[in-house]
Amino acid sequence: MKYVLLAAALLATIAAALLLGPANVPLGEVLASPILWQLRLPRAVLAFLVGGALGASGVALQALVRNPLADPFLLGLSGGAGLGAVVAIALHLPGPWALPLAAFVGAVGAMALVYRLGLIGGAELDPRILLLGGVAVGAFAAAVTTAIVSLAEATELRNAFLWLWGGFSGASWTTVLVILVYAPVPLIVLAAAARPLDLLALGEEPAQYLGADVRRLKRVVYLSASLLTAAAVAVAGVIGFVGLIVPHVCRLLWGRLHRTLFPTAFLAGGILLTTADTLARTVVAPRELPVGIVTALVGVPLFAFLLRRWSVS
Amino acid sequence: MRRSTQRTHLAALLALAVGACARGEHVPVRGGLAVTDDAGRRVTLAVSARRVVSLLPTFTEILFAIGAGDRVVGRTAWCDYPPEALTVPSVGDGMPPSVEAVAARHPDLVVLYRSGPNVAAAEQLERLGIRTVLFDLNLLEQLGPATRRLGVLTGQEKRADSLARVMDSLASQPPTPSTRSLVFIVWDNPPIVIGAGSYLDRLAALAGARNVFHDVSSPSAQVSIETIAARDPDFVAVLTDSAVPPRYATRPEWRVVRAVRTARFLFLPGQLFGRPGPRAAEAIRELRRRLEAAP
Amino acid sequence: MERELIVAVRDLTCRYAGAPRDALLGVSLEVRSGEFHALLGPNGSGKTTLLRAALGLVAPVQGRVEVLARPAGDWSRRDLARVVGVVPQREESLFPQRVHEAVLLGRYPHLSLFGGVRAADRAAVERALVACDAVDLADRWLWTLSGGEYQRVRLARALAQEPKLLVLDEPTASLDLRHEMELFELVRALVDGQGLAALMITHHVNLAARFADQVLILAEGRAVARGAPADVLTRETVERVFSWPVAIEPFEGRPQMIPLRQRKDAP
Repeated sequence: MKYVLLAAALLATIAAALLLGPANVPLGEVLASPILWQLRLPRAVLAFLVGGALGASGVALQALVRNPLADPFLLGLSGGAGLGAVVAIALHLPGPWALPLAAFVGAVGAMALVYRLGLIGGAELDPRILLLGGVAVGAFAAAVTTAIVSLAEATELRNAFLWLWGGFSGASWTTVLVILVYAPVPLIVLAAAARPLDLLALGEEPAQYLGADVRRLKRVVYLSASLLTAAAVAVAGVIGFVGLIVPHVCRLLWGRLHRTLFPTAFLAGGILLTTADTLARTVVAPRELPVGIVTALVGVPLFAFLLRRWSVS
Repeated sequence: MRRSTQRTHLAALLALAVGACARGEHVPVRGGLAVTDDAGRRVTLAVSARRVVSLLPTFTEILFAIGAGDRVVGRTAWCDYPPEALTVPSVGDGMPPSVEAVAARHPDLVVLYRSGPNVAAAEQLERLGIRTVLFDLNLLEQLGPATRRLGVLTGQEKRADSLARVMDSLASQPPTPSTRSLVFIVWDNPPIVIGAGSYLDRLAALAGARNVFHDVSSPSAQVSIETIAARDPDFVAVLTDSAVPPRYATRPEWRVVRAVRTARFLFLPGQLFGRPGPRAAEAIRELRRRLEAAP
Repeated sequence: MERELIVAVRDLTCRYAGAPRDALLGVSLEVRSGEFHALLGPNGSGKTTLLRAALGLVAPVQGRVEVLARPAGDWSRRDLARVVGVVPQREESLFPQRVHEAVLLGRYPHLSLFGGVRAADRAAVERALVACDAVDLADRWLWTLSGGEYQRVRLARALAQEPKLLVLDEPTASLDLRHEMELFELVRALVDGQGLAALMITHHVNLAARFADQVLILAEGRAVARGAPADVLTRETVERVFSWPVAIEPFEGRPQMIPLRQRKDAP
């Protein structure tokens, strides 16, 4: 029954994303309209894929740090991406891919730095050190970003921050293709890690006794989840709360087994983000809200509600 | 003091007072000049300013245009018009102003654009004993009053007055009936356009072009490509010194916008169009010429 | 019939990185099927280290550890989990789950990468629950169980791995008398009935003496004594190892340790 509802929500979301918009496209001309094919459809598909990536990544990271309140951006990735983006703009790097690539490199750099910090602590990928390291790296990146912003031209950087807040206005079939080629590998890796992640919830030693190769598992999950998040940031900026909320909602509805959690979180994340994007571009028309703000505005009360339920149980 | 010296001083004072009354507008305070700036401060000078630092390109332009260019001893790195301004030493990019660099020019007046950081810088300069004056300069209407007050402070009231009259008449002109529509796109990802309440929007209206985002009240706003396509402007106006189409012009999602697809761009040089200034009329003429020249 | 040698530890010396002393020094142990081994010793004597070394989690500085005649370090975790089922001392319980789901986790080493849960797996879970007398707990949420019930479920999970050796690390630490006795009886029954080997770390010297076939006493990383309880648990040994005066009294053929009071003038 729940799956039926999920499928129905998916269809409704896609339909809304394709049919709603400032341009008045008559129903009969919809299939031939370039507005649909060049603007609305790639945008909806991209939002769906990014939302799915963030949902799956959130599930993986919450399992990795054994903390249900973890968000993919807690590990310093958003700070790194922001720094990359700001550097790209401050240096006037050419080409339409300069900004996404720089953001991606920044996010991956942050991931590597957090990992390295964890190694210094002596314990590889220890959950508490990961979280602390993530906060530290994020703060460091934010400080460097602020320094660059204060030294460089003001107006272009303001626009960079608008991009960083998340948005799908630049969605194109090229971007969709990049994600379609890139995302399946980390997603499949995460799917294969589903069962051992169930074991990891018991603790690292008990998981090893039950047959999980915990060291390899942690590395692989950390790498895959970070790469998914980095790609999401590179094409769409920092969109918070999806990676935090979606795993919880899916856990409430479908239980905690990762074999079900990964696919449902992917679908639910996609639905959530596509809906948020549709809202972002229709609610204050003709203007547009950055998507990251919509997910935060929706996510915060939802999170508070879930928090109450979690602490009660 | 000997009586004859006293009498000379008194006569001089009286002469000044009479002369000041003849000018009419601003009553001199103890023989000095006074204006009220846009931060509500009363700015007084004993004599007209001799060493002026201008911290906005428009003020530099105005000062040269009213014949006070020889008194400008400091400018920002952005002040590039008129060409003579380039010989004036720069005090940095002015964002925020470097108080030390300004003070090093030993000015008796510093002209600033009214913004948060500039208000703070002005306070610091005042503590050093340097007089500062703050003007708003976002709209066409603000050019005239600013010009007049600069004229007072530099003793160039007559020329300032005539320039201000031109500015005022331009500002009070009703919008020309528009035959073409356009959109100002300042950023592509996310798309940022210019709305009403901005200088560019006003220029367009006076040049006979309708800004398709005139209904958006804020000076700039984030919109979607689809909105731009739906409003179907005849032209895409870009502030740039080059004539090369912007980088998004080749992307398929942007080509849904007719003006992008048909490459109907208006390349507007930043020096002339980017800021309100004495050459506003020239900017309007230039824009109108380009609109009419386009197919 | 020769009992199968499951774990063979020979002259094992282990040291943790940066530690001043060896955690284990020259310890030997052989665990065969159908044998119940108890591992005794004061805190910090190296009992858990021996466990970790036997399972290939700690590499030996000297000596050898073999599981089914192969070095412990050569086993993949998955294959080893099919031979040895461990009930660890501590584990986290992050998300609520039901008993049958928890026991099903023990089937992980038998499941293929993307394959589903088969009938054979469910049957193994069922058998494990029956053996641990936990069938009627199957649908309960873990967080509703008592301490004793929870331990039985964890034991069932280890059994679901279908191991040859059961390893339990202080399984009765927080259990009351009845549940403690029930657990020891259960392990004994599994060893006798199913021919499993069992290795249990415990502080309960007397129950170890009553139920175990072999006892190994560790002190400061060294093996103090190894053998049948009656041979090993002498007054001299126990007093030396545990630093407390005791009296040893036989009960049902097994030595039972009675700690003596320190104060001479006690009423």
